[in-house]
Amino acid sequence: MKPLRIKNLKKKFKDTVAINNINLEVEQGKITGIIGRSGSGKSTLLRMINRLIEPTEGSIEFNGIIITDIRGKALRRWRSECAMIFQQFNLVDRLDVLTNVLIGSLGRSYSFLNLFGYFSKEEKINALKNLDRFELAEKSLQRSGTLSGGQQQRVAIARALMQKPKILLADEPISSLDPKNSKKVMDDMLKINREDGITIICNLHSLEIAKKYCDRLIGLSEGEVVFDGKPNQLTADIAKKLYDLDDE
Amino acid sequence: MTNQEIVTLYPKIFSPLWKRSPLKIFFSLLIFSYLIFSIKYFNISVTELLNGLNKMKPILLSMVTWNDFLSWNFNSILVGILQTLAMAFLGTFAASVISIPLGLLASRQVTKINLFRFIVRRILDFIRGVDILIWALIFVRAFGLGPLSGVLAIFVADTGTLSKLYSEAADNSDNKQIEGLVSSGSTKLSTIRFGLMPQVVPIFISQSLYFFESNSRSAVILGIVGAGGIGLQLSERMKAQYWDQAFFIIIIILIMVALIDKLSRFLREKLIND
Amino acid sequence: MNKITSDNHYKNLIGKKRFWNLSLIILIFIGVILSSKIIDINVSNLLNGMPRLGDYVSQILPSIESNKLFLGSKDQGSIAYWYFNLPKYLKLLFETFNMALLATIVGSTLALFLSFLAAKNTSPNSLLFFSIRRILEFFRGVPEIIFAILFVWVLGIGPLAGIIAMTLHTTGSLGKLFSEVHENSNNKPIEALKASGGNWLSEMKFGLLPQVLPNLISYALLRFEINIRASTILGFVGAGGIGQELYLVINFNYYEEVSAIILLIILTVISIDLLSGYLRKNITRIEND
Repeated sequence: MKPLRIKNLKKKFKDTVAINNINLEVEQGKITGIIGRSGSGKSTLLRMINRLIEPTEGSIEFNGIIITDIRGKALRRWRSECAMIFQQFNLVDRLDVLTNVLIGSLGRSYSFLNLFGYFSKEEKINALKNLDRFELAEKSLQRSGTLSGGQQQRVAIARALMQKPKILLADEPISSLDPKNSKKVMDDMLKINREDGITIICNLHSLEIAKKYCDRLIGLSEGEVVFDGKPNQLTADIAKKLYDLDDE
Repeated sequence: MTNQEIVTLYPKIFSPLWKRSPLKIFFSLLIFSYLIFSIKYFNISVTELLNGLNKMKPILLSMVTWNDFLSWNFNSILVGILQTLAMAFLGTFAASVISIPLGLLASRQVTKINLFRFIVRRILDFIRGVDILIWALIFVRAFGLGPLSGVLAIFVADTGTLSKLYSEAADNSDNKQIEGLVSSGSTKLSTIRFGLMPQVVPIFISQSLYFFESNSRSAVILGIVGAGGIGLQLSERMKAQYWDQAFFIIIIILIMVALIDKLSRFLREKLIND
Repeated sequence: MNKITSDNHYKNLIGKKRFWNLSLIILIFIGVILSSKIIDINVSNLLNGMPRLGDYVSQILPSIESNKLFLGSKDQGSIAYWYFNLPKYLKLLFETFNMALLATIVGSTLALFLSFLAAKNTSPNSLLFFSIRRILEFFRGVPEIIFAILFVWVLGIGPLAGIIAMTLHTTGSLGKLFSEVHENSNNKPIEALKASGGNWLSEMKFGLLPQVLPNLISYALLRFEINIRASTILGFVGAGGIGQELYLVINFNYYEEVSAIILLIILTVISIDLLSGYLRKNITRIEND
């Protein structure tokens, strides 16, 4: 089953073409890695799926709904089904960990009372369970700014889970982490993929990690798909082509 | 883990709001009860406010309908603007001049005697505690109506603040240059002149420019108590209910202030870059 | 060769600096001459005025005698005689304080709501952004006492006119300052909320507000200090507070009362400044508790 279909997607920023005519279908329940050097359009592609960036041309479809056309409430519903984590974690440093996680529920079930800091008992239990999966429940009342980078990214994953997402977009989730924390974060992503069946699309800089964790790899270069296949199909030659463009 | 286990494991998270953040609740209640108190204290009633708003309608309307525009006395408005600017300039200039010795005296780079510095500073605090309009009213009483009282009001009020800022600038100056001169046996005065002044003069000028800018705002209102300038023109027209002309003057004032802002910002940037 | 060019360069720099200094001095000189002409000030009328100022100051100073300092309010020379009207002053000072406090609370609340619309990065709509900005600039640009004159006309003499005038001015200045704080905030948490399907209100409440709140409170406290000062003079135009009494005693030449009231105002302003300065310094620590 391939719920996510991207057709003829194009994005231009003024004069530069960031994404040039991409056609893709992404399988349900798999981890799809997007690789390529920085500036190849990985981040732009992910942000367009979540509609943080509007495409110039083309369409994105999920379960038959053309999500590039929806607006308002429907758009917010889509965004809550399509969770996202970021390179810089994007937590609110001055709020405690628990609230940071609870924030993830706002797109799914919003009530006026939330604006006064109220969250229902069910959501709180939910949040603590999600934190507990990553061994962070004890830290729930600490300010998130006091946690290490790796812990912050796992809090961000717990926040994403609060959205009860069908799909998780990870934009360079380990680029600002050391190897040990990188492994922990990737293991946790693998865990939610295997246990919850959440489809994951993950931008990665490191080829080694991409090969280890992903079911399928897509190579981007200058906004175009130059590789699409299983990790073991990615030969050293193609990898060189993907990353060594800098040396031209 | 079951739900019940989680609730018992983290009792603090599931306790009622007033237990989790008592301070937040306390301050919210405090502000809320203060608002109730002030409604009682000031006798604020909705009907009164609505009546007032109704009275505002014709005033707002006449502010924007300029029927006899060509017959207005533009000369007096121009003179008022010029007076206001002149008051702001002279007041700032005089305050800057007197603030140099005062500021230095209040600085620990110059005055090593704590008690003396303390006294100078407290006097400056006193001056700053009085609003410029009060000074203006006093000078009008002593000197009579007119812009001279306005200049003096700006002069006194600014001396309080500028001297303090000058003294802080002198406090923050680099000690090494001064020590160098002291160790080579130069006198106190020449140490100040060649060690301290070159460091602080650009800061002084920049701060004075900034004060000229803010004084061109405050000089606008001095006319209300008779201390000259455009404020006199404005308040007279408001008293006579010439709302159209009053609104026109307000617009002119806003434009004037914006222009002075731009000019002073330009000069200050120039000064800092050099 | 090299030495000569660097010497020339140095000379050039010095020359340029001299030129700037000289033109600055000339500019100031012209300004002083021109301004004196415009408002018709010269040395002789300044000198003539000085003795009158001296007279006035000596008249408003209280006639306190050290041996009678603590006698009753009927004995000239005592503090009680100087401050015979103290209960009335205190009542008016309390009113002044409350005017400033209420205007600060209401004004900063309004400013908070408007600032989200008036910040480039958080405003949901560019037309809204533009118009709110202009409105805030207007309220900030017009001095509160001008608003006070208008509201005294509409609502009658009394503190309400002053409160509304100060509230408008506070809304304008704080609205602008707040929106600048928003513009300097970190956009990433807001992006995360948007990406999770949060609406605009929750973006502001959870993404932006926690970052900026300490700054906003500090600015509001600073505004409170300014409003305390402002509320002491709004009475000049009938908009309530101790200013009304001060205006009266100055114009009716109740000399000693002038100094009595001014001293009280100074003490109030200084103590509020100290308190608010202490709160501002400790704002993050207090908030962390």
